[in-house]
Amino acid sequence: MSGLLVSTLFFSMMKQIGILLLLFSYSLSADIAVIGHLESGLSAMTQKEVKEIFMGRLKSLPNGSFALPVDQYELRARFYFALTERPIEQINAYWARIMFSGKASPPMKLPHSEAIIKVVTENKGAIGYVDQKNVDESRVKVLLLLKAADEI
Amino acid sequence: MKNTYIFLLLLVINATAVSAENEMRWSVTGFGTFGLAGTDTDEVGFFRSTTQAQDLTDSWGITTDSLLGLQLDVDINSELHATVQWVARDHVGDFFEQNLDWAFLRWNISETSNIRAGRLGADLFLLSDYRNVGYAYPWMRPPHEFYSSLALSHFDGFDLNHKIYFDNDALSIKVFAGYSFNQIPSAFPESVDLESPLVGGSIKFESGSWTTRTGYAYLRLVTDVPNERLVNALNDPLVNQGLPNINQVIPHLSLKDTDVHYYSLGSAYDDGTWIAQAELSYIDAERNFFPDSVNAYLSVGKRISSVTLYSLLGISRSFQKDVYIPTPIYPSPQLQQLHYSVNRAINKNGIDEKSASLGLRWDFHPNFALKTQWSHYWIGANGSQFWQDPTAKEQSRQVNVWSFGIDFIF
Repeated sequence: MSGLLVSTLFFSMMKQIGILLLLFSYSLSADIAVIGHLESGLSAMTQKEVKEIFMGRLKSLPNGSFALPVDQYELRARFYFALTERPIEQINAYWARIMFSGKASPPMKLPHSEAIIKVVTENKGAIGYVDQKNVDESRVKVLLLLKAADEI
Repeated sequence: MKNTYIFLLLLVINATAVSAENEMRWSVTGFGTFGLAGTDTDEVGFFRSTTQAQDLTDSWGITTDSLLGLQLDVDINSELHATVQWVARDHVGDFFEQNLDWAFLRWNISETSNIRAGRLGADLFLLSDYRNVGYAYPWMRPPHEFYSSLALSHFDGFDLNHKIYFDNDALSIKVFAGYSFNQIPSAFPESVDLESPLVGGSIKFESGSWTTRTGYAYLRLVTDVPNERLVNALNDPLVNQGLPNINQVIPHLSLKDTDVHYYSLGSAYDDGTWIAQAELSYIDAERNFFPDSVNAYLSVGKRISSVTLYSLLGISRSFQKDVYIPTPIYPSPQLQQLHYSVNRAINKNGIDEKSASLGLRWDFHPNFALKTQWSHYWIGANGSQFWQDPTAKEQSRQVNVWSFGIDFIF
């Protein structure tokens, strides 16, 4: 009987520690939401599809419409690290090779979440990313969640 | 042909005005390098590119690597795009015209194909069309044995690009054709205008961390070096009495109608931590002014946080047959001088160079990189073709080149 009590206590304690750990890890890494137009007809995208579009290798969305990826200054380094596991200098060098040899242009850069959301609500092919806490699901559709470290 | 770029600029300006009411995206971006470099000799001078006017010696200088590039990009609509790039750098000849590297329209025919027309970067080797963008590669400057002699940086014409995607890989095919006008310094008093029609193509395969590229280009030089005074002297009957049949070497003093073939193979690896790159080329021109050569380099580097340490080995060798130059039959300082000049012009264009470099790149800011590099060159007796060699002592030598620089993009 006391053995059962001890083990119950033990398990409930473990559960609390587990919840604590979850909370702790949540505060260490926030999700970045990849967002699209509400009427894009897409329900979700894979990380590979998002990567291909943001690295300029794919020029249309899975629904066939012309892709308009938009970058956000504030989140850019964290987003690309979560997406490609490469630091931002390497992403910049990659784009420098492509844009300064006249092959293609990198995604347009916008200053903050609100600007991203505005572009995404206005263009069916637009695809952007914002901090998950800034997502308003009545205006944009979340296509993918990326775990991103706060510091890289 | 020289006015093509003006026409293209007008075309771009026109296109901008026409589509102003549609949603048009444009951007001005740029790149640059501020570099300081020096060697340990004043007998031979170092060039980053054969098109430079100012060589580098032990008195140090900033013109070797410093440059500033500006690029205007206009998305006219989802299918049509215009790009103009101008790079301020040390270049002989017409400063504005020669430094206008690109002015073209790109038409995206489909998701995977496009056509570009106008002034285009000559895409002969892996680095060819971004060799001025120091931020895009680890070294202080493109590998000397491979890129310094490549005067051709742009041409007026068109290219077709097609990309085929597989699961994780991509194959790019490109063909191009056009007409190039490049100015280079020469042993003659004036700079040389090289004009040539050219055609070529390349295949690039990208798979994970690997990029492999092979290419071919053919060009025919239709202009000549400014050799009239020398040719007139060699046709002089009096000169031919003192230097019997010297007029027979005249064909060797010409570049016109030279067929040049460029064959290249290269591979680059980048897994985020380790980087490696190697290229091999064979240049077939069969002229004494432009001997056949084999060029290669290999570089290996490692990124440790924001610092990249790299090593670089390069080699370039030419193959030429000496032409017999008649010697004076009676002692005369003028004839001896003429014999010396003609012999030097025809038989002393050899390339024999090896180098080893160590360097460091520090990405201290997302848009800036600090670099330093030490290079040691071994130059053979008749092998200083990539260098300023006024004394032409015909001795082998070793030269150290030290460089410091900061690369940026904006």
